[in-house]
Amino acid sequence: MSNTDAPRLRLSILAVVAIALFASLFARLYDLQIVGSPEYQVQAEANRVRTVQVEAPRGRVLDRNGKVIVDNRVAVVVAVDRTEYEDLDEDHQTMLVARLSQELTAAGQPVTPEEIVERLGDDRYSRYAPVPIVHDVPEQLKIYIEEHPEEFPAVEVERTAVREYPYGQLAAHILGYVGQINEDELSYVEAVKGDKPYTLNDHIGKSGVERTFEQYLRGTPGERRIEVDANGDPVRVIEESAPRAGDDLVLAVDIDLQALAEQKVRQGLEQARARRQTGDEPNNGVTGSAVVLDPRNGQVFALASYPTFAPTAFVDGIDAGEWAYLNDPANHYPLYNWAIQGQWAPGSTYKLFTSYAGLKSGMRGIDETYNDQGGYAIPGCTGAKCYRQNAGGAAHGNVDVRRALTVSSDAYYYSLGAQFWIQRDSFGGETAMQQYLRPWGIGDETGIALTGERPGRVPDAPWKRSYCESIGCGDPVWRAGDNVNMAVGQGDVLVTPLQLANGYATLANGGTRYVPLIALRTLDARSGETTHSFEPEVGDTVDLPGDIRQAIVDGLSGVPHPGGTAASAFSGFPLDTWPVAGKTGTAQVDGKADTALFSAFGPVADPRYQVTVVLEESGFGGTAAAPVARSLFDVLSGTVPKPVAGPGGAIPDTGAPQQAAGTYD
Amino acid sequence: MARVPFDLGASRRGRSRLESPFRLPDEPRIGRREGNLFGRKTVSAWRHVDLMLIVCAGAVSALGALMILSSTRGTDPDAYDLSFLHRQLLYVGIGVVAMVLVTLVDYRRLGDFAWLPYALVLIMLGLVVSSLGTERRGAQAWFQIGEFQLQPAEFAKVAVIFALAVLLARFEPPMGLPPLALGLVLLGVPAGLIMLQPDLGTTLVFVGIAMGVLLIGGAKVRHIVVLTALGVIVVVGVLNSDVLADYQRDRLTVFLDQDQGLREETYNLNQSKIAVGSGGTTGKGLFEGTQTRLGNVPEQHTDFIFTALGEELGFAGSATLLGLFALMSLRVWRTAQIAGDRLGTLICAGVLSMLVFQIFQNVGMTVGIMPITGIPLPFMSYGGSSVIASWLALGLVLNVHMRRFD
Repeated sequence: MSNTDAPRLRLSILAVVAIALFASLFARLYDLQIVGSPEYQVQAEANRVRTVQVEAPRGRVLDRNGKVIVDNRVAVVVAVDRTEYEDLDEDHQTMLVARLSQELTAAGQPVTPEEIVERLGDDRYSRYAPVPIVHDVPEQLKIYIEEHPEEFPAVEVERTAVREYPYGQLAAHILGYVGQINEDELSYVEAVKGDKPYTLNDHIGKSGVERTFEQYLRGTPGERRIEVDANGDPVRVIEESAPRAGDDLVLAVDIDLQALAEQKVRQGLEQARARRQTGDEPNNGVTGSAVVLDPRNGQVFALASYPTFAPTAFVDGIDAGEWAYLNDPANHYPLYNWAIQGQWAPGSTYKLFTSYAGLKSGMRGIDETYNDQGGYAIPGCTGAKCYRQNAGGAAHGNVDVRRALTVSSDAYYYSLGAQFWIQRDSFGGETAMQQYLRPWGIGDETGIALTGERPGRVPDAPWKRSYCESIGCGDPVWRAGDNVNMAVGQGDVLVTPLQLANGYATLANGGTRYVPLIALRTLDARSGETTHSFEPEVGDTVDLPGDIRQAIVDGLSGVPHPGGTAASAFSGFPLDTWPVAGKTGTAQVDGKADTALFSAFGPVADPRYQVTVVLEESGFGGTAAAPVARSLFDVLSGTVPKPVAGPGGAIPDTGAPQQAAGTYD
Repeated sequence: MARVPFDLGASRRGRSRLESPFRLPDEPRIGRREGNLFGRKTVSAWRHVDLMLIVCAGAVSALGALMILSSTRGTDPDAYDLSFLHRQLLYVGIGVVAMVLVTLVDYRRLGDFAWLPYALVLIMLGLVVSSLGTERRGAQAWFQIGEFQLQPAEFAKVAVIFALAVLLARFEPPMGLPPLALGLVLLGVPAGLIMLQPDLGTTLVFVGIAMGVLLIGGAKVRHIVVLTALGVIVVVGVLNSDVLADYQRDRLTVFLDQDQGLREETYNLNQSKIAVGSGGTTGKGLFEGTQTRLGNVPEQHTDFIFTALGEELGFAGSATLLGLFALMSLRVWRTAQIAGDRLGTLICAGVLSMLVFQIFQNVGMTVGIMPITGIPLPFMSYGGSSVIASWLALGLVLNVHMRRFD
C-alpha cells in the first residue's frame, strides 16, 4: 500500500461503492414506480376515497289492473353525525343523548339513551353518513330540531321513503314486509354482491314478494365518493350519483278479488264457528285460505289466508308486544300464509287424483262400475280396522267413476286403493298408486315465488319405513289399509291449498301443471315501461288422455248439481250458462273438527278460473267450504258485480256465503 | 491515468494538471498559505469555482422547496399554509450565505482553526442531551430557540469531517495505529454523544464518514476489515440492547419483513411505498399527489420528502433527482481527485461519504431497502440545521476546488 497508485486506487474504490449505491436505488425505483406501480395506484386510491351509499326508494307493488297496493311515503328520519358527535366533549355527548332520547320518546318513538349510544358505537355504520336513530317522527319534531341546532348539535333530520299500504291488511301474506337488514341477510347479500350493494342501514324484503322480488324492487343506491385525509376526516365530495328508484312490480293478483276472497274466507269461518258442531269436536274455524288461479297459465288472481296481519306494523321495526302476538300459537300464526304453508289431509278432494290413478293404470275401466254397499272389507286383513265404512254411511249402489266422484263414494276408492296394493306386482311395485298421484304436484312445492312454501306429502312404503324409524312408531310396514286411507285423501297424505288448486287447474287445462305465477312484470319507476316480464312456466305435464279427463270432469260437474255433494251450496247458481266442476272434501283430524275443503273450476267448457277453499276445524266441505267458493264464483261468473276495494281494503259486503246443507264425504 | 473529461474549468483553460492530479504534499501545509479576505487571491480563486456543483445543489433545493410546499400547504384552497415554504427558503438563503463565507478563506488556513467548530459541536452535543435539549419523536436532539429548532448533530457531521481531514492530513500514509486511534477518538466522541440522544441514523452517517475518510486517508486494509467487523458487532449489539426504545428498534427492523400486516411500524413504510409506487412513470402531477396532499405519509416534509417527489413527479422526477445527486457526487469525487493537497482530498472524501451515505440511506428507507432511521435528505428535507449544514459542506468542497492550483 505504499506505492503512489494507492490513493488513486482508493478513490476508485469509493467511486465504485457510490456507483453501486446509486445503481441499486435506480433499480429499486424502477421496480417500484414502473413495474409495481398499478398495484400501488390501487392502494393509493383506496387510501384516498371512501364511498357512502344513499338509499334509493323501493319500487311500488301494483295489482294486475294497475292499482297501487304498496306505495312509498315520505318519513322523517332523525340521525346523528358521528364525526360531529365525537367532537363534542363527554358531558355534551351525554346531555345530547339524554335530550334526544327524551324528545323521541315523547314523539312516540321510544328509544333509550343506551340504545342511541350503542348505535353510535356500531362500526358497521359508515363514518361518512349520519347514523339513523329513528325513522318516522312527526313533522313538528323535525321543525323543532331544525330550529334549535344549538340544543341538538350533530343531530340531522332527513326525509326518507318508507312503505305505505293503501289497502291496509289486504294481501298481507302475498306482499310480505320489509325491515332493516339483519346480520345474516347482510352477510348473505354481501356474498352475492351485485350492482345494488347493501349497507347496514338498508331495508330489505323480509317475506312475500317484497323478498322474492327484492332484486327488482330494490332501488340502485346513490353513491357519494368522499376524499378523506390521513385521519379519515372528509376533505371534499369527489362525485355523487343520485339514487335510482327500484322497479314497480305488477302482480297477477286482482286486489278487488283478493279483498273479496279474504272477506268470504273470514265470513265462512265465522259461519262455521256459529254452526252446531258436526262431530265430537267444536267448529273452531281457526284458519282458512282461498286460492283463485287462472288454469290457462297459472296466474294467481287471489291468495287469501286467515288470520292476517298489518304489514305497516313493520315499518320502522315492529314493537315487541305486536311481535309476540303474531308469534303466539293461541293466535294461529297470523304471519303464516296458510294457502302455501298450511298442510292438511285433502279428504275427498283427493279423489280426482285417485280416479286418474285407477283409470290411467287400467285398474278400472272408464265405464266399469263398482257396487258400493256402504263400506269395504279389506281382503286378507285381520284386525280391528279391516272394514271401512263410507264417511256418510250411505250405500250408493253401482257406481262408475263419474258417479263415484259426484256422490263421493268412498267404497269405490277404498277398493281401488286396496287393489293397487294387492296387485302391486302387475302395476309397478309398492309405489304403484303413488306414481300416478305425484305428477299432479302433490308432495312437492309448486314453486310459487313466495316465501315459506311447504311441500305436502304423498306417503308410500319407503316413506313409512324411514318415518317410523325416525319417530319409532309401532308398524313400519306399508299395508293395504294405508293405500285405502290415501285413496280417499286420509291417512298420511298432506296437501297445501295451493297444491290442491294447482292440481285441479291441471285437470281443467288438460294436463299442464303450471308454476303458479304471482307477478306478471316489472315496470321502470320513471317511464312506466316494462323492464322484465314473468312468463308462465310449466312445472310438469300429466299424461291425461281426453276420455279419462272427460270422465273425471263429468263426475266433478255433477257435484254442484242436485244429487251432488255441493248441490246445496250452488243452489240458485246459473250452472246452465256457467257450469262449474268441483269436489268437496271433509278431512278427519284426530281430536279436532273436520277440515272443510272445496276445489272447483269453471266455466267447464273453457275453464278460466280455479277456486280452492280450505277452512280448518269447520266441518263438512259441502257446508263450510263450498259456499265460500260459490260466493267467489258468483262474482267470477258475472252473476254478482265485482265489488271494488276502497281505501284501507274495505269492500261492500256482497252477502255472507249461503247457508248450505252438506254431508260427510 | 486517463484524462478525466469532467473538469470543465480546467479543460476550457487548457491548463490541465492531470499529470499530477493527486499531489501528495511533502509536508503538512496547514497555516503556511497566505491569503486575505476579499484580497486578490480570493477573487482570483472564485474564477475557478465549480458552477456545476452549485447549480446541482440549487436545483435540488428548488425541488425540495416545491415538495415541501406540496406536502405542507394543506387541503384548504382558501387558506394554504405557506409557512414551511417560507422558512425553508430562508434556510436555503442562510445556507448559501454560509457556503460563500466558507469559500472566502483558503481551507488550508481555515484548517488551523478546525478545532474550534469541533469543540463547539462537542459542547452543543453535550448540552442537547441535558435538560436544555428538547425531545421530539423519542430523540433528544434539538435546542428550541424561539420558533426555530437547532439540531447540533447536523453541524457535527461537517465539523467532524473537517477536523478529521485536518488530523489525518498531518500523517503520511500508510496510516499507523496512533493516527488511526486518534481519528477514531475524534469521530467516536461526538458519535457517542449522538447515540445518547439516541439518534442511530446520524450515528450511522458517522460510520459512513469514517469508512470513507479512513479509506482515502491511507488506513491499512486489515485495520479497515477489523473496524468493519467491530461496526457490525456494535450495530447488532445496539439492536439487542436497551439503548433504543422498542418502537425505534421496530422501525429499524421492519424493512426486513415488510408484509407483517398493518402494524403501526409498517404503516409508515407502507404509506411511503404506496406514495412512491403510485407515482408511476411521470407522477400524478405537482400538488396532485393524493398521499402527499392528504397527509398519508408521516414526516413527509422532513425525512420522507422523497415520497412527495416520487408520487407527484414519478420515476421521471425521482430519476432526475438521483441524477442531480449523482452529478453532485461526481463533482465532489472529482474535486477529491484534483485537489491541491492531501487535506483537500480528505475533506472531499468525507463530504462525498456523508452525501452518498445519506442519499442512499434516506431514499432507501422510503422505498423499503434500508431501515427507517431519522436522517434528512441533503438539500431536500425541510429543516434549517440540515439545509445550512449541507450548504456548509458544499462550501468546503468549493473551497478545495477553487484553490486546486494554489
